Amino acid sequence: MTRATARLLDHRLAYLGAAAAILATVVRSEAQDDSAFHEIETKYIFGFTIGSSVGLEGEKAFEPITVGRFGKRTGTYAATETVLEYEFTPTQYMQIELGPTVSYYNVHNVTDIADRSMASLNGFVGEFRYLVLDRGLSPFAVTFAAEPEWRSRDETTGEKVVNYELETRVEADAELIKNRLFLGLNLLYEPETTRADLGAWSNESTFGTSAALAFQIIPKVVVGAELWYLRHYEGLAFSTFTGDAVFLGPTFYWKISPKILVSAAWNTQVAGHETGSVSALNLMDFSRQRARLLLEFEF
Amino acid sequence: MRMAFAVLNPFAGVLVFVTTMLAFSASPHAQQPDAVAISVKGHHFQPAEIRAPANRPLILRVKNLDATPMEFESVSLRVEKVVAPGGEGVINIRPLAPGRYEFMDDFHQETRGTLIVQ
Repeated sequence: MTRATARLLDHRLAYLGAAAAILATVVRSEAQDDSAFHEIETKYIFGFTIGSSVGLEGEKAFEPITVGRFGKRTGTYAATETVLEYEFTPTQYMQIELGPTVSYYNVHNVTDIADRSMASLNGFVGEFRYLVLDRGLSPFAVTFAAEPEWRSRDETTGEKVVNYELETRVEADAELIKNRLFLGLNLLYEPETTRADLGAWSNESTFGTSAALAFQIIPKVVVGAELWYLRHYEGLAFSTFTGDAVFLGPTFYWKISPKILVSAAWNTQVAGHETGSVSALNLMDFSRQRARLLLEFEF
Repeated sequence: MRMAFAVLNPFAGVLVFVTTMLAFSASPHAQQPDAVAISVKGHHFQPAEIRAPANRPLILRVKNLDATPMEFESVSLRVEKVVAPGGEGVINIRPLAPGRYEFMDDFHQETRGTLIVQ
C-alpha cells in the first residue's frame, strides 16, 4: 500500500467515524422535545455549500469570512483570504454583500510557486443573491447568486496580478425533517481572468457541484457533512480540462446569541486527477485541505 | 478590445443580474394587501395565533404595549422590525403559500406566535 493510499484510507475511516458519531447523536436526540427546535436560516448551515436563505428584510450584519487552503504536493503551503463583509437584505427576496479582502500566504518549497510569507490587503468583493423559488411552493427553495471579485494578488501564489473573478451559484435546499434535518445542493460556475507581470491576460474557470446534509442536533447548533466535486478548465467556457477533485468534510453552525453566529467547515481532498499525471490527488488546481470560518454580527 | 471584453464581460453579466433582481423586487403587487393587527403585552403575543388568506399581500401591524423594546422577527416570513415601547411597527409581507409561519420577539425569544395562512 502506498503512503498516499494509506493516507486516503485514514481520512475515509476518520469520516466514517465522524458519521457514526453524528448518527449516534441523532438517534439519542430523537428523544428530545421537538418544540425546543425552531426554524433557522439555511444560508450558513452547510459549510462551503451555501443555503438558499436570503436573510430578513431590513437585516444588516458584519461578517468576517475566512477561506483557507492548505497543502500542495511539496513543501509548506497555506493561503487564506478574509472578506470583511457588510451584508444587508433590502427586500424579502434579495440580499447584497460588499467588502474588502485581506490575504495571507505562507509558502515554502512548493513546486512552481515562489516562497512567500506575507499578508496584504488584496481586493474587493460583492455578492448579489436573489431567491427565485420559495419553500412552500416547492419542497426546494432556490437562490441565484453572483459574486464578482477583484484581486491585486493571485489567490494561489500571492504574485502581484490583476484578477477579475465572477463566482455564480445556484443554491438549493430542502427541509427533510421540519426544523431539524436539511439537504443543501449547489451548482457553481466561476470564470476568472488574470493579468500577470508580463501583461498577457489568461482565462480559467471552475465548475462545481455539491451536496450537504445538516442536522440541528441541539437547539441553535447544526452539524453536518458536505461533498464537493470540482472541475478546473483553462478558458472561460470549459475549453481545456486541466483536472478535477472531490472534497469531503464536516460542517458546524452555532447561533451563539440572537445577533451572533459562527459557521465552520473543513474539507479534505479525497480524490482527484490532474491531466497528464498519475497522481492520486489534484494538487495543481486545488489544495489538499480547505477550511471556511465565518462569524456574523447582526446590528 | 478583446482584453477589455474579457474584463468587462463578467461584470456586464452582474449588471444584468442585479438589474433583473431590482426589477423583480420593485414590481408592484396588483392586489390590495390585507391588514392583520397583533400586540405584545407582558412579553406575550395577543393573539398568539393569527390567520391570513393565502396568495395575498399582507400588512402586519404590531403594537408593543410593554415598557421595553421588542423585535418582531420571522425566518419564514423573512422580516424583522424593532418596535419601541408603546409604539407600532408596520410590516409588509409578500403573498404567502398556505402553511404555518413562526414569528417571535428576538429580544425575548420565549415570546412566540404563529401566522396560519390558508
